[in-house]
Amino acid sequence: MKRSTWLLAVAIIVSLSFGVGAAKPIELTYWTHTDDNRTEIENRYIAEFTKMYPNVRVKRVVNEASKMGDIVLTAFSANNAPDLFNLPIEQEYGYMKNYRVAPVDCKAIGVKNYDELKSQYIKGTFDAVTMGGKIYGLPLEITNWCIYINKKVFRDAGLDPEKDYPKTWEDMADISDKIAIRNGDILVRRGFDFRYPYYLVSFLPMVEQLGGKLLSDDGKTAIVNDKAWLQVLEYMREWGPHGRNLGSPTYAAPRKIWNKDNNDIAMCLSGFYQQGRLQNDNPAFFESKEWMVVPFPVFKNAVNDVACSFYGHYLMVNAQAPKEKQEMAWKLADYMLSHSMEYLVKVNLIQPRKELLTSKTFKNLPYTEVFMADMNRAHPVFLHENGYQFERFIKEAVEGVMLSKVPPKEALNTLRNRIQEVLDNE
Amino acid sequence: MQQHKGFSMEQKKARWGWIFVAPTLAFFLVFSFYPIGNAIYMSFFKKNLLSLKPPEFVGWGNYKYLFSSDMFWQSVANTAIFTVGTFIPLVVLSLVLAAFIMSRTKLQKFLQMALYSPAALSSVVAALIWLLIFDPRGLANQALNFINGTSGVNYHWLSNANMLRLSTIILYFWKYIGYFTIVFIAGIGGIPDYLHEAALIDGANRWQDFWHITFPLLKPTTLLVSVMVMIQCLKTFSTQYLFTTSGAPTRPIDVITLSIYNTAIKDHNIGRASAMSVLLFLVMLVLTWLQFRISRTEEVTYM
Amino acid sequence: MNYAKGKAPIGERLADIFIWLFLILACVFVVTPLLFMVTASFMPAIDIMKLPYPWFSDHIHWQNYWNGLKGPDGSFIFVRNILNSLVVALSVTATTVLLSSMSGYGLAKFQFKGRNLVFMLIMATMMIPFETIMIPLYMVVTKMGLHDSYAGLILPFLTNAFGVFLMRQFLITFPDEVLDAARIDGASEPRIFANIVLPNSGPAIATLAILTFRSQWDNLLWPLLVVQSDEMKTIPLYITKFMAETHSDEGIMMAVATMASLPMFILFFTMSNYFISTEGLHSTVKG
Repeated sequence: MKRSTWLLAVAIIVSLSFGVGAAKPIELTYWTHTDDNRTEIENRYIAEFTKMYPNVRVKRVVNEASKMGDIVLTAFSANNAPDLFNLPIEQEYGYMKNYRVAPVDCKAIGVKNYDELKSQYIKGTFDAVTMGGKIYGLPLEITNWCIYINKKVFRDAGLDPEKDYPKTWEDMADISDKIAIRNGDILVRRGFDFRYPYYLVSFLPMVEQLGGKLLSDDGKTAIVNDKAWLQVLEYMREWGPHGRNLGSPTYAAPRKIWNKDNNDIAMCLSGFYQQGRLQNDNPAFFESKEWMVVPFPVFKNAVNDVACSFYGHYLMVNAQAPKEKQEMAWKLADYMLSHSMEYLVKVNLIQPRKELLTSKTFKNLPYTEVFMADMNRAHPVFLHENGYQFERFIKEAVEGVMLSKVPPKEALNTLRNRIQEVLDNE
Repeated sequence: MQQHKGFSMEQKKARWGWIFVAPTLAFFLVFSFYPIGNAIYMSFFKKNLLSLKPPEFVGWGNYKYLFSSDMFWQSVANTAIFTVGTFIPLVVLSLVLAAFIMSRTKLQKFLQMALYSPAALSSVVAALIWLLIFDPRGLANQALNFINGTSGVNYHWLSNANMLRLSTIILYFWKYIGYFTIVFIAGIGGIPDYLHEAALIDGANRWQDFWHITFPLLKPTTLLVSVMVMIQCLKTFSTQYLFTTSGAPTRPIDVITLSIYNTAIKDHNIGRASAMSVLLFLVMLVLTWLQFRISRTEEVTYM
Repeated sequence: MNYAKGKAPIGERLADIFIWLFLILACVFVVTPLLFMVTASFMPAIDIMKLPYPWFSDHIHWQNYWNGLKGPDGSFIFVRNILNSLVVALSVTATTVLLSSMSGYGLAKFQFKGRNLVFMLIMATMMIPFETIMIPLYMVVTKMGLHDSYAGLILPFLTNAFGVFLMRQFLITFPDEVLDAARIDGASEPRIFANIVLPNSGPAIATLAILTFRSQWDNLLWPLLVVQSDEMKTIPLYITKFMAETHSDEGIMMAVATMASLPMFILFFTMSNYFISTEGLHSTVKG
């Protein structure tokens, strides 16, 4: 055969195989938690993405947040994991430590290296997902909680919300007592109540305000500064049904009923997204501006000004998925996340990109300065491979003290022993 | 002539016996025996569900840990409390109700249907309803306050440890009382009339008739019911799972099944969870064997 | 006990009254929560947690049902979930009845070596708590690629030990003469099973069917593990989805609960003849 013909043939074959390779269909599975607003915009992004990459199909599956941990875990344990998923960072930590998720593919998302990626976000964004110098997730949202106040309920109790809002935890108890309406023992209206199952995010900082810690700095000893712990446990005991009867884990969660403006709760601890939900659930209340947001209180004798910890959801990619899927998954994640403004405006999720946080739109949204100020006072939620267990132990300690009349000293000792046992077993 | 012309009648029948049983047996092999074997095997290893590392052999390590762990013994205690607390009222009251219903001449069917109706609900629905009833503002408090003539007393159905246990028992009891009443009614109905008539002729009144004729002849039924109830109680999961994921404290109702689930799924410790499962399985095996042993010595025949 | 003439002695009458009171109280205890569920399903959520509970309200809040069906994302996926529960429960019931009858029949009416061992082994599986086998089972099912599918939901429950037990106990009392007569007439074993045994096992089959359907309808843990997409969820999963939603509205929850319970109630009330009749369980219970 003539040489040129031969070369032409090779060129055709090679380009054909490239074409064929490029046309191989890739199906990505993306698992995430329920959020109607986010579902709407992400479905749109996915449609646009698949137009850009016609050989890619995306299956987006939602489950409700509290079950996601179980579902994703079971899937991974059976080597049947989704390609792309998100979980709260406390739950994602284990996946990272066990190398089940892949480091961010800089090339796929169009950055030179991790430093360039970090420079697009505010400082500290990637601390929780960095291991061995590599970054393992892209932030879907970073959340911290502040106190939402229903001004009407305050006034109904004879208080002026602008002046009398709680600045210390002692204030919080007194104000809640003033606002509380009871039918015998049964609370019909509460002032404030805690966000009970989330002890690492909201309870631990209270201990840290008084100088306490969950683990010693070397991570080997459980519980530092008993006095701090005892003060907070005693505070919770006072809060509960056997103390001043201001609230308890078995009443309805405040953030779920606060939106209804039903005169049954004055304050709740929640994130920026609460406003978005409020706008949907109760537009009249939202528009009336009869509500406000104030910072996380501190104890009168606090030694550290620590606000509620912030946590986040990061999009992560399954490390056991085939390379092409991983690459596409990162591309999809990056594409979705490039719409930070829409996430902010439509879903009320904050992605800590510098350009977003310095934008006028962001600054003009109600109370963003309160949330940002609190985020500056806070640190990322406590992360540890056994974090889930520790949170369970803390839950039992607080509940024992509040509901079962366990003396704080005894509860603290039990807590210490259990955590220590887990640490020693590692 | 008739040397080996096919199999003999018995052999043929035996073969058919196997054929009828084979599909079920195959099913159990794959979906019951293999998993339990796997669980027993896993109980001797230490493995983190998320880790890609191979499981680490620890021999009796998991078992030793469990026997010295007070959290494990707490869940054993919780399971025992729940089982005994449910089992006794359930068996006794379903027998009593069955006897009462059978002694009526009207409305037998209506009563049975009414009592059985909660069993038609799924446990998720039942938990949903009772969570609202046990809420501090719910019907449970209202009812007790009404009966006691008090107002606003909160009985802490979901927050006090012992009340919480009582709440799970009440739910379970409510759900299954009708079912077991019907089983007892069937048992009572199986007692031939002529025995009752003979007693009548002998001058027995209703109470004596029940106590000396019906009750003793109900032994096999009572045994059947006891076995079923006990196994059900030991396997309880949904009620405790749904309560604890809706805000109730875990410690008082952390029964073994819930503990197994949490150890595997939340703590990722599959080896320890398997060890717990094996122990639970053994307990149930022993209990059931004991009960069947007792039943063998109490064979009942009517004349 | 009837007394030909005259009044019953006072002791008997008091006992009568006591028994009726007891029965009435039992019924009230049992039925009240159901009444609560239904009445609450027609109330707006704010009213449900009022003290005291407003049993009779003049206003019927149909929106709860509509919103319940619509679901939090407005997709009416609940309808699909109800369908899923039906498909799974019916399939499991069908296979369980078939396999249990077959194996019950084999164990009851045929002598073969190892018969007792087989029976005991099967009975032993009754004692295996599901949590014990859930992870290995999950791995088996996912290896077969059956997660998030009807097959994955149905397969682990094709039959169960209790069903085998029930059918065996019942079939032990099945008259041998009828079977032998059929054999002498030249009928094959499968035909005897299909045409003689099955049709005459009505009460036992009905009982088994109802119990199996009920327990599948109720299944929470397995679907929780195996179902990953919204479309394949079963009713219990849909409800737990509601319980955790931020917009947990008690009225909607009760409406969903009522809708979820309707099929079981219908089944129960139509099949109650088999179930309740004092003859129904009699032969299965003996021995």
